Amino acid sequence: MSIMEYNGGSVIAMVGKDCVAIASDLRLGNQALGIASDFEKIFPMTDRVYLGLPGLATDVTTLREQFRYRLNMYTIKEEREIEPETFAHLVSSTLYERRFGPYFIEPVMAGLQRLPNGGYKPFIAATDLIGCINFAKDFVVAGTASSKLFGVAEGLWEPDLEPEDLFETIAQTLLNAVDRDAYSGWGAVVHVITKDKAIKRVLKGRMD
Amino acid sequence: MSRSYDRALTVFSPDGHLFQVEYALEAVKKGTCAVGVRGQDVVVLGVEKKSVLQLQDPRTVRKVVMLDDHICLAFAGLNADGRVLIDKARIECQSHRLTVEDPVTVEYITRHIAGIQQRYTQSGGVRPFGISTLIVGFDPHDTRPRLYQTEPGGIYSAWKANAIGRSSKTVREFLEKNHKDDMTRDETIKLTIKSLLEVVQTGAKNIEINVMESYGKITALDLPQIEAIVAEIEREKEAEAERKRSRLAATAAGQAAMSQAAPGSGGPSGQQ
Amino acid sequence: MDISFALTGKGYVIVAADTTAARSIVKMKTDEDKIKVLSPHLLMAFSGEPGDTLQFAEYVERNIRLYQIRNTYALRPPSAASWIRRSLADSLRSRRPYAVNLLIGGYDTSTSTPHLYWVDYLGTLSPVPFGAHGYGSYFGLSLLDRYHDPEATLEEGLDTLRRCIDEVSKRLVVSPGKYKVKIVDKDGVREIEL
Repeated sequence: MSIMEYNGGSVIAMVGKDCVAIASDLRLGNQALGIASDFEKIFPMTDRVYLGLPGLATDVTTLREQFRYRLNMYTIKEEREIEPETFAHLVSSTLYERRFGPYFIEPVMAGLQRLPNGGYKPFIAATDLIGCINFAKDFVVAGTASSKLFGVAEGLWEPDLEPEDLFETIAQTLLNAVDRDAYSGWGAVVHVITKDKAIKRVLKGRMD
Repeated sequence: MSRSYDRALTVFSPDGHLFQVEYALEAVKKGTCAVGVRGQDVVVLGVEKKSVLQLQDPRTVRKVVMLDDHICLAFAGLNADGRVLIDKARIECQSHRLTVEDPVTVEYITRHIAGIQQRYTQSGGVRPFGISTLIVGFDPHDTRPRLYQTEPGGIYSAWKANAIGRSSKTVREFLEKNHKDDMTRDETIKLTIKSLLEVVQTGAKNIEINVMESYGKITALDLPQIEAIVAEIEREKEAEAERKRSRLAATAAGQAAMSQAAPGSGGPSGQQ
Repeated sequence: MDISFALTGKGYVIVAADTTAARSIVKMKTDEDKIKVLSPHLLMAFSGEPGDTLQFAEYVERNIRLYQIRNTYALRPPSAASWIRRSLADSLRSRRPYAVNLLIGGYDTSTSTPHLYWVDYLGTLSPVPFGAHGYGSYFGLSLLDRYHDPEATLEEGLDTLRRCIDEVSKRLVVSPGKYKVKIVDKDGVREIEL
């Protein structure tokens, strides 16, 4: 039994054309026993930075509270909202602080980076449980269904998807991958972030 | 080496005084007055309320607080110091329950508070608490009311009735003259208000009364109740004054009559 | 192994826990109360490592009381649950963690809503319509999936609870005999006989 698989759950993020999407399942389990089907693992950090926290559920809550605190401090001191790339490094250093007694979480981030010319650039990243960042240009996955997510995403994803197409791609990738994973599933939630708005959609999935 | 200079420490003066502690007592004397009176099976805490500013919320200014279900505390002195000491006491109350499954006795928590106050007169880098406290309550499984006092130096003692803060000497002397053992609830409340009226000029609206009748039963009197008792006291005073006046008048009349009965007897009034 | 159930209904939460205190294969006691009343509208059923359970429950009880004395008002159920969860999560990474599982049921008097939280010894917290700990969860949860109704009256809620308890008695080899049942609603906490 791995501690990373104790509660189950998976997260995926994808880049589109001037937009990003991040999605997760909704299961909270105790090994094979299901406890809740409304356990969200993705949290908005700002209006255009989202953080997914798959892994040990106690650390999901603890880290969410930790990041809320650190982000509030950042916003107050800097008098501005954090950029996704800066936030990725904040996540990384927070996890590395616990290098020899880590939080059992593999965070996934998605956001829109503000450019000097006023535009926005899609940004996604993931780290391992001690904070080693993986900046990706296409998609990142994490959680108990990560191996399946890789496979489906590899087949479905293509560059420069419009928000609606990106939503369909990420939703299908997630739903089909978690159906092959016993520890993930029980519904899903998808966030699509564009420069004007962030849309959240809760999806029904197989309940077995 | 410079570190040895920036430690404030309460040290003896050559003639054996601890000035910092005495200054703390001065701070207490500046605080608003608080009175505690023990009756037969009731104990009453009365405090002088500072009039709040027009736009201030009076509920946020508290001089009487609960430490636990069965213990109340009133303080005089620096409000800020009071807050800190009260918090320490409340933690001790719960901690005591947690470790020995029993509520604290009034004496125990008094000793604990006095202990903290003493510690702050004997360690480096700190100053004493600028407050005196009155602690009232009932011990578990007991019906006798308790009243204790603590001081900045860490002294604590039990009382039948006592006052701390501004003009506490006047109030204490009044209590010494008028306190009786075995007072009823109403008598005790009345004595408390009466003693406070000695120093509170503004009357009922600046008085707060808390009555503890038995373990865990605490009631605060509302303004109309206090006003009624104040009015009653005023009436009694008025009647007393009236009696005095008529007695005085009677004596004066008697004297006048006597001096008229003996004209030319060479009384002082006869000289002119 | 302790068994506890809890479920919400229309304006109430029912919390039930068995009353057996066992050491290895021996029943030491059959009237143990494993549900703490934390504040006028808050209940907590606890199970797990004997010793840790009561120690932790009393620690929580005193801190919730301290909060109420300091601030005049008691913590509302979501805040209380969050604080308790954090205590367990911090404890998990300490030298000697508490091994305690909890069901926290409360009634929020300011919004007039019942709340129930499932918490395990790792500090995993999830708001749930119904929950269970111990071997009872393997029998009870599926029954609750089928019969639970968030709009049920108290009598209907107790019927659902009876189903769970009866199923445990029927199927579990080492089923406990007696349960303590407590209810929290707008009038506060009360204990009932099932």
